Parts: sequence; C-alpha cells; structure tokens
Amino acid sequence: MNHAPDFDSRVAAALANPTLKVAIERTTGTARTKRAAAMAAWPEFPAARALGRDIKDHVIENLAHYLVAFEKNADAAGTKVHWARTGEEACQIVVDICRKAGAKSVTRAKSMLGEEIGLPHALEAAGLERVETDLAEHIIQLAGDPPSHIVWPALHKTREQVAELFRAHHRDPGAMATVEAMVASARRQLREKFMAADVGISGANFLVADTGAVCTVTNEGNAELTTTPPRIHIVTAGIEKLVPSTAHAMAMLRLLVRSATGAELTQYTTFHNGPKRAQDRDGPDEFHIVLVDAGRTRMLNEGLAEMLRCIRCGACLNHCVVYRQIGGHAYGATYPGPMGSVLTPMLDGLEQAQDLPRACTLNGQCQEVCPVAIPLPTLLRGWREKSWQRGFEPARVRWALALWRFTAMRPRLYEFAGNIGLRIMPLFAHGGWISRMPLAGGWTAHRDMPSPSGGTFLAQYRRRFKK
Amino acid sequence: MNDARSEILKAIGKVSANPTAIAAQAQRLRAGACRPDRVNGPADAVFIERLRSPGVAATAERVATMQDFPDAVRRYLAAQQLTPALALQPHPDLQALDWSGISTHEHIATDEPVAVGLALGGIAETGSLVFHSSPVSPTLFCFLPLHHIVAVRASQIWPWLEDYADAFAGCAQPRNVNLITGASGTTDIEGTLVRGAHGPGWLHAVLIGNAE
Repeated sequence: MNHAPDFDSRVAAALANPTLKVAIERTTGTARTKRAAAMAAWPEFPAARALGRDIKDHVIENLAHYLVAFEKNADAAGTKVHWARTGEEACQIVVDICRKAGAKSVTRAKSMLGEEIGLPHALEAAGLERVETDLAEHIIQLAGDPPSHIVWPALHKTREQVAELFRAHHRDPGAMATVEAMVASARRQLREKFMAADVGISGANFLVADTGAVCTVTNEGNAELTTTPPRIHIVTAGIEKLVPSTAHAMAMLRLLVRSATGAELTQYTTFHNGPKRAQDRDGPDEFHIVLVDAGRTRMLNEGLAEMLRCIRCGACLNHCVVYRQIGGHAYGATYPGPMGSVLTPMLDGLEQAQDLPRACTLNGQCQEVCPVAIPLPTLLRGWREKSWQRGFEPARVRWALALWRFTAMRPRLYEFAGNIGLRIMPLFAHGGWISRMPLAGGWTAHRDMPSPSGGTFLAQYRRRFKK
Repeated sequence: MNDARSEILKAIGKVSANPTAIAAQAQRLRAGACRPDRVNGPADAVFIERLRSPGVAATAERVATMQDFPDAVRRYLAAQQLTPALALQPHPDLQALDWSGISTHEHIATDEPVAVGLALGGIAETGSLVFHSSPVSPTLFCFLPLHHIVAVRASQIWPWLEDYADAFAGCAQPRNVNLITGASGTTDIEGTLVRGAHGPGWLHAVLIGNAE
C-alpha cells in the first residue's frame, strides 16, 4: 500500500522534521516505561511468553482444523462466515454486504487488517460515508494521513496539531486548551454518528474456535458503540487470529495488553457472537465475518510461519531504535517497525520493500520484548539474504561490500586502513565529536559522530592480550 | 466464495487427522503457574482491591444486601452532585428494588448522564465486571452513560480470567460478553491518559454481600 518509491528520501524527510521525533518519543517513551513496570510485576513473564508462543504455534500447525471448527461454531451462532483469498476480494465482500443492505454510512473501529487490505479506500470508492471512531483513527482521517503506529496510529501528531485539526473540523470544538478538552470534543462529534450508522465494521484481536466468537479489545469503548447500534456488523479478520478456546484467549490477552500499553487488561474486552437474539433490545440484525488470507498461507509455506504468531501489540515498534528515529510513515507501508519490515516484503513484494529489512541494526531488542518470541532479527536477515541472492542491492553496495570483504580477510591491510581513519578523523573533531566530515554527510546531517580514540581494535586487543 | 474457502484450506495443506489429539494438546497449553501472582486472598477482597488500583481506577464499595443498593446509588448521585434521574438496566432484580426519590427510565439515551446496572459477576485477577448481553442486559447500558453504577454479587466473583471462561465453556454463548475494566480511556494524544473517551467517564462498582 502507498509504497512511495524512495525509502531514503522518506527517511531524510522524517529525520529533518523537527516535531516528529518529539511526538514519537512522547508516546513510545511512555509505552516503554509502562511495559517495563508491568513486566517487573510479572516475574513469570518468560514462561507466559513461551506459552503464548506455543499456543500460536499449535494453532498455526493445525490451522485448517481450527478454521473449520470456528466456521462451524460461528455458523451455529447465526454468523455468516465469508472467505477471501486477497485483500481486494475481502473489500468486495464488505462493499457487497453494504450495498445489499442499502447502507449509506459506515462506522469503523480500528483494524490493522482493514488498513492492510485498503478497506477505508474501498468504502469511500463505493460512495459510503466512512466514520473512523477510534480517537487516533479519527485524527488521521481528518488529517488525511495513513497510520504511523499499529496501536497509536496518530502518534506522529502533537497535541498542538490535534487541536488545530479539531478546531478546523469539529462542530463544537470548544476551548481546546487541554488534551481532556480535545477528547471531549471528539466524543461530542462522534456521538450521533455511532447511533446513525447503517453498518459497523471492526477487526478481531482473536477468533475463538470452540465458540465461534470474535474478541476485540479497546480502551475507549468505541468498538462496542460501533458494533452494537447499526443493523449490520462486519468483522474482517486474518486467518491467523485463531485461538482454541476462550481460556486460551485469556492467556493471550495477558501478554497482548501488558506488551502494548502496560495495563493488565484493556478497559473493554468483548466477545462478539452472532447477531441480535430474540427479545434482545440492541445488537445487529446481521453479523458477518470475512476470513482473509491475503498472503498468510504463503507465509506459512515460505518460511515465515513464525511471523503468523504476531498479535500486533506494537512493543517491537516502541523499542526499535530505527522506528524511534524515523517514525512509521517513512516505512511507506501499513505495518511499520520490525514486524512491518518482516511483513511488508511478503505483502508488497521484496523488490518493492527491499529497503525495509535493511533498515535495522539487528540489536535484538524487538525479539526480546516480543510477547510471542518471534525471532524478528533472524527473519529480517532471511529477507536480506533473499534480496542479495536476487541481486536487488545497488551496484555501489555490492562493490563496497566486496571491497570490505577483501580487506577484512587480510588483517594487516584492515589494520592499515583502520589506522588511516584513526589519523584523519580526529582532524575534523571538536571536543571529541565530529559534526562534519567529507563522505560522512549521511551520518552527520542528523547527529554527531564520536571521534575515535584508543587505537584500532587489533591494537587494543594486542595490548590487552600481552598483559 | 466457496472457491476461496477451498483454495485457502488447500493452501494450508495439512489436513488434521486427529481432532482428539489436537484437543488434548490444546488442553496442555493452558496458563497455570505462569500467571501473575495476583489472586492471593479471597476473590471478592482481591476484586475490590483491583477495582481501586491505579491501573483500573474505578471506585468501589460494599453493601450488605441488594436492598441497600439504591441507597448506595443515592449517596453516589449526591456526592457527584448529579440530578436523581437515571437509566435503569431492565433487570428484574433491579426493578424489584425501592428507587423512591430517583426518577428511573428503561430506555438509554445517547447522552445518558447516569445508568445503573447489574453485572453477571466479576473477575478478581483484573478487577473486571462481566456482562452477558440479554433482554435484561442490553449492551449499550455499559457504553452510553457518562456515569455507570454497577451492582455485582460478592458470591459471583471468579478468581482468574480462566475461571470465568471455564464456567461457561461448552455452554451456549451470549451475543456479547463484555469484560469491563475501569472507565473508558484513551492515550491516543501524546500517550496522555484521558478518561471518558467514548464510553463512561466514571465507573462505580457496588459489591453486594460477602462471598459465602
């Protein structure tokens, strides 16, 4: 999706944006602090994470079994189950249901799968009024931006920017002096929209195989206000979202919520099961679930089964040194950060997304915080290898690596080259830091480089070895 | 879309031969020892403590019997300086109580200031209130009001999330199960927590009686 051709220029623009880094740091910093506190209070986390991994692996191992069981149980609850091979097919199913019902307006609770398959665009192209009800999605809908984080899609906006947007678009914006006032304004703005919509669309955090229920988690309560009043509720869900039972969903919820926000549980954890029952006073007349493949069976068969464990908590984004510098938009894809850099080459094609697996320092933080122990650095290295084999690296990268390889295999030559650098670099340093140096503009444009000290690694090694 | 179904199942490939073995394996994958050590006292006491914890940030009190619930509601309305008018969840156990001095109605408005409800039960581990949608428990009663005052029987508190799940495993499921853990909130603007995003801004739980 919306993958602009030039990753480097998007990164350059992000690094040059003076407010972006502040905005990213405000939200991800809080998320890291809260997650760390939640984990400190949960010494059993390593065992819980191993269990989460095993539950997901068990489901992926028996995916056909659980899909068929889910379909049978959902059907028994009165749910209409649809299957879609591709994102386009899924969007078409959703649009057809809306058309058949004569729908004019649609409310939507945040769903990353919906973003992935381009559902917002498909709804608008079909002439439906689309109302995003998650506060962050509401903000980016007004701004015309794509999401920049999978948990906080409007993380790139500062409070000042949000106030400006609401003043321009809300009926009754009020003073806008505080974040509280902004939230209250959005509440007023969306209230009637919830009640007036013909169709409500949500995603799924989990699909419970043995009941046929769809589990969603939110903190705002917008999901339930999206799915309860309209005549029709449509869920779009990836086929990897299954868990065997409600009890298994609970084990996954402990991991998901603590990893995402540091809370013990979201304010609203809801299991949706079929349409309105006889005598019920509210709830939809029709309940549809669209089970979407869109590359997941390919992941299963092409060495990325471990990535199907992902529960979209966003912890890997919050802890990624690259994401924290460049933000979500620079990735040019629905899913940013480490998990996105693994997913996007599969979803958009490796040639198109080849830069993403390279935009990683392989420091392993993402794998450390992942609640289902996905070996993200290993999967990213796998994409790099494929990219190399398929010859996607530009000639200058291949040439530079060949030169480095030649030198690295000759220790004396390597040390000689290192010594040249050691002599030259301090000439550009002021107070131990280099802020400008020929050939290093790519680094020094956005940060200083420490001046080298203490001799080459080999020299230091020899010195210590002699002691 | 039957083509899509068969193609997806075919692409997954592996046909699961033995549902019994799969079920047995799933049974082994249940959380036990790796749960955070939280429920280390009587479930109803832990529940009330979790409700009041900073993470959940609800208010909670305990009264002796269901008949004392309307008084708790009156005290809450007075303390919050609210008009004594509210949407009463159409549950017979609530309707049977003496609400004199308060004007009650059964229909919930889009901007309802106060709603009073009865939860099916609670979960001690997380301080969650459990609602099952039904004719006497419409879903919107939990989401439209600004203040939500909820009665919950102390005898209906499950210690862990799994205990709740197990209590209804194999039963017919309600249309909606809502686990409600504190008032509505959002951190979507600069990570700052603000209460009362779209759902209630205040949640007050009233525990009825003692566990046994």
